[in-house]
Amino acid sequence: MATEFEGKIKSTPEMSPKEIEEMRSTMESVSRKVIAENIERMKKTWPNRPKTMQYFDEISNFFGKRLEEIRAQKEADKKIIGYSCMFAPIELILAADAIPVRIDSGWYDAAKLGDTIVAVEVCPVIRSTIGTQMVNLSPYLELSDAIIISLTCDGRTKLSEILRDDKTVWTMCPPRMKDSPHSRKLWVEEVKAIKEKIEDLTGTEITRKRLRSAIELTQRASKAFRRFQKIRKGNPVIMGRDAMLVNQTSMWDDIKRWTQKTEELCDELKNRIAQKKWACPPDTPRVMVTGTPMIWPDSWKIPNLIEEANPQGVLVVDELCSGDRLLYDPVGVDEWTMSDMMDAVAERYLLASTCPCFTSEHGNDDRINWLLDRIKEYRVDGVIYYVLRGCILYAMEYARIKRILESIDVPVYYLDTEYTREDVGQMKTRVEAFLEMLETRVAL
Amino acid sequence: MTEIIIEILRLTIIVGIIFAGILVILIWINDQTKKISYLRLFIQIVSVPVIFLGLIIGPFGLPQFPPVGNAPRDAVVGTNIFGAPFPDGLSVPVLACYYPSGRTVTCPIWQIQAYIFPFWNTGLGFGWGVYYTTHGLERLAIVFGLVIVMAIVLGRFFCGWICPFGLYMDLMTRLRKTFKKRYWKLSEGVNTGLRQLRYVIIAAFLILSFVFGSQAIIGLQLVPGTQSGEYVYDYFSAPFCQVCPMKPLCVLVESASGFMDPASVFSQNTGLLYEAGYYVTSLNVAVLALVTIGAFAFRRFWCRICPLGGLISLFNRFPPFKWFSVVRLNKIEEKCTKCGICKRVCPPQVTEVYEEKGGDVTSSGCILCFRCVEMCPYEGCLEIRVAGKPIYKSRNWLEGLE
Amino acid sequence: MITAGIDMGTQSVKVAILKDGEILSSGFTFCGFKPKEAAEQAFKEALRKANLSFDNVEHVTATGAGADKAINFDSTISMMGADAQAGAYFFPSARTIIDVGAEEARAVSCDENGNMLNFVLNSRCAAGAGTFIEAMARALEVKLEELGPLSLKAEKASPINASCVIFAESDVVSLIHRQESKPEIARAIYDAMADRISSMVRRLGIKPHVALIGGVAKDVGFVTSLKRKLGTELLIPKEPVFGGSVGAALTAAKRIG
Repeated sequence: MATEFEGKIKSTPEMSPKEIEEMRSTMESVSRKVIAENIERMKKTWPNRPKTMQYFDEISNFFGKRLEEIRAQKEADKKIIGYSCMFAPIELILAADAIPVRIDSGWYDAAKLGDTIVAVEVCPVIRSTIGTQMVNLSPYLELSDAIIISLTCDGRTKLSEILRDDKTVWTMCPPRMKDSPHSRKLWVEEVKAIKEKIEDLTGTEITRKRLRSAIELTQRASKAFRRFQKIRKGNPVIMGRDAMLVNQTSMWDDIKRWTQKTEELCDELKNRIAQKKWACPPDTPRVMVTGTPMIWPDSWKIPNLIEEANPQGVLVVDELCSGDRLLYDPVGVDEWTMSDMMDAVAERYLLASTCPCFTSEHGNDDRINWLLDRIKEYRVDGVIYYVLRGCILYAMEYARIKRILESIDVPVYYLDTEYTREDVGQMKTRVEAFLEMLETRVAL
Repeated sequence: MTEIIIEILRLTIIVGIIFAGILVILIWINDQTKKISYLRLFIQIVSVPVIFLGLIIGPFGLPQFPPVGNAPRDAVVGTNIFGAPFPDGLSVPVLACYYPSGRTVTCPIWQIQAYIFPFWNTGLGFGWGVYYTTHGLERLAIVFGLVIVMAIVLGRFFCGWICPFGLYMDLMTRLRKTFKKRYWKLSEGVNTGLRQLRYVIIAAFLILSFVFGSQAIIGLQLVPGTQSGEYVYDYFSAPFCQVCPMKPLCVLVESASGFMDPASVFSQNTGLLYEAGYYVTSLNVAVLALVTIGAFAFRRFWCRICPLGGLISLFNRFPPFKWFSVVRLNKIEEKCTKCGICKRVCPPQVTEVYEEKGGDVTSSGCILCFRCVEMCPYEGCLEIRVAGKPIYKSRNWLEGLE
Repeated sequence: MITAGIDMGTQSVKVAILKDGEILSSGFTFCGFKPKEAAEQAFKEALRKANLSFDNVEHVTATGAGADKAINFDSTISMMGADAQAGAYFFPSARTIIDVGAEEARAVSCDENGNMLNFVLNSRCAAGAGTFIEAMARALEVKLEELGPLSLKAEKASPINASCVIFAESDVVSLIHRQESKPEIARAIYDAMADRISSMVRRLGIKPHVALIGGVAKDVGFVTSLKRKLGTELLIPKEPVFGGSVGAALTAAKRIG
């Protein structure tokens, strides 16, 4: 019976093309404004921004140069494979000569549209993605020939169904307890299944040679990524928002070029370190953000507050799947045989993840180790625990993490917010009070 | 006088070449994921002639330079220790087979079996008319003492860096890699079972040695043929050596390279199919063939079941020996992301390095080849500690990529 | 050294002028739609009472929800920071400061020097702040300043649901129709609010002693309910509504020195 309705009755209501286009163009112009505004604000806080940041500013525009490139490649018959969450194997997509783009939505207005389809308690990122799909707001989502959704949380599990109404959706299911041998086996099989799907879609066989070059490409991206992060360990030579922008553009930019530009940026920053040209005073409170993803452009709400506050804070590191976790773990290949490469690729995505969707007999100790290590290495003064209301996984880990951080005398503040601009005032109060607290502690 | 100077010069040159080789590898190779592996390969290759074939020490009984007299090896090895000539070569905790001519170093497994047997014989060494004045018990103590000390201090480092059979298996692995064939894996249950089997094998050959030597030990023939001069006495007194794969490998290599006379080798066997013999039996050869195929398909196949490895582990893994063990593998918990690379690249498929949360993660299956430390991409996560001090740490090997 | 603090609240502006650690004077004006004018007026009032001119004041710190809309200020500080300073100033033994204002309630931990160590706020809802009481007074048709003494007459509280001001208001109306006694309803209102605030304070952790500042601290009904729910005594200054502005003025003094 259910199959009778499949394809005929969708989750989203019918909208006239005129309606869709109206909403889309309104949201697009708002988005362009927000993008421009965010960049202006970053420039204002840090007037002496490095030249290379201009490249990342350009790429950050969803409706600009990068979109044209992808469109041109699509005309040339290249396939675009979108993905949600962080488990889609980029190496396989690159090896099949397709273009990977992350389609998780960072648009606040689209979330309001998503409210009309699903309850407001659902994760805002999911609601926003639904909204963008309804009005074709995200050009990358629109251009995707297939979308890989990792069923890491309840929201994504159902998102896959809603998106499937209009797009080809492939799902990958990472096991919630990733430590056991049978979990590993399951995940390797999932990756193999996706490999076949990618090969079918693109018509390109993923040979050993191709996979090897794709892996070498992402290894070099990881190298640049880590080099960039290492620079942030010392005195602040780059502001956190700009660093986050660099990180995020890797989610949709051409990987090779992104690597090259990041290396250039690192060279520029290295010079600045030698000249002691800091982006803000070295005793600025060093803040770490951990929690749900902060996706460009609208989710710059909190980082803007942190770095423009009085007293100012600087984001030195984050534990976000949209930030410092993106390319940190490399694919470690032992022997360049097909089976070892596939194992290496599969394990890289599953095992090193610190997402709270995983648990083990020792809890989510991966995340705790990650946080503790970063706090030490980056001399973090305070942690902002950022949760988008609706994410049960991150919200529930707070209780234990708070106690652990308090036991090592690191202040942590729980900041829960939504995909809305209306609570900026309240967020500002909280952020500023927290930074005041950190400033006092730093001075003491 | 000049001959002694020449000897010293020869020694210096050889040592110098080795050091140069090490330096070249450490400096020239940029790829951090291969550096230690190449170093290890170099040390393994160097160990073979230096230690095993007696390049420095010289073959047994043959003087290096007739005018000088006996080879320095005889001076060292034939010397009085505790008032008597040291028996049958230095025991090193690697598969350094006793049987081929050479006998600068000796496999302790042979020595243990042999000394149980002529345990009660006073005076006589095992064949070749060499007379030792130390008695069975003293000999056993000396052998055991040396092996135990080396096992405690360096543990299975010998297995990873010096054992020639390990080199053989690593060469099989490299051969497989040139054919771009993937390796096979044993399931964790089977692997653990094989590890336990090692101790069973040790117990088995100790018991069999006793049984086959019962006539000499307790004056009673438990099994027919164990009288002096009879079949079992002549050929089976060291029961493990009849199945050991290292023996035929050594014999074949030394026969081919002229250190042993092939004719005499193959004449010292019974029957057409060499069912039993001094130097090589059909069983030996069969096991070698099996292990060779195993080493091609799996990595470090023999190491998972090697009784000598088991013997070393006994004196390395358990307290009180553990407290004196010098070379340990250590993990810093907060740096570990559980990415699983260490477990995947480990040749003998050790899982403790991954499963243990932090601290000392050395295990009895670990051959201390350092591959996991080499491949771990997180700085300072895994480290090799010598006497508590880290001498080699994992690092961000991405930085070495071009 | 003369400093001033301006507390730009949502309902009213409070100004305090301090000289060498002593409160000289204070000023108070309702905001209405023109916060800037209200600030000017309150400031003028305080200056007049202290017999000073604006030039005598060395440093002005603004605080409160509308701090950046204040006039003539040299620096700002968060409400939480001001609360900590004020609490430690009024009561040197206080380590937990609760501030209940018109639209927001906060709790702050501090050390003996008035440094803010940690803070917690109510969850973006006015049912735990002053406007709740105002709405309830309206519903019961009682004058705001009489609601407190009225509630003290009750021996028990009628049950009301205080998850939202709107719901609570309709709850109260139906209770009146059922002819529940007004004192009992009044007490229920205060209990409900004290409940919200005490659970907020518990999230922070109660370290003795506990001080209460902010406009609502003058409401005897609220104070009684809160004492009961928290299970501790509450230290309340004479003019609790000026807590924020005093704290800001103290901060100003620290910033000069």
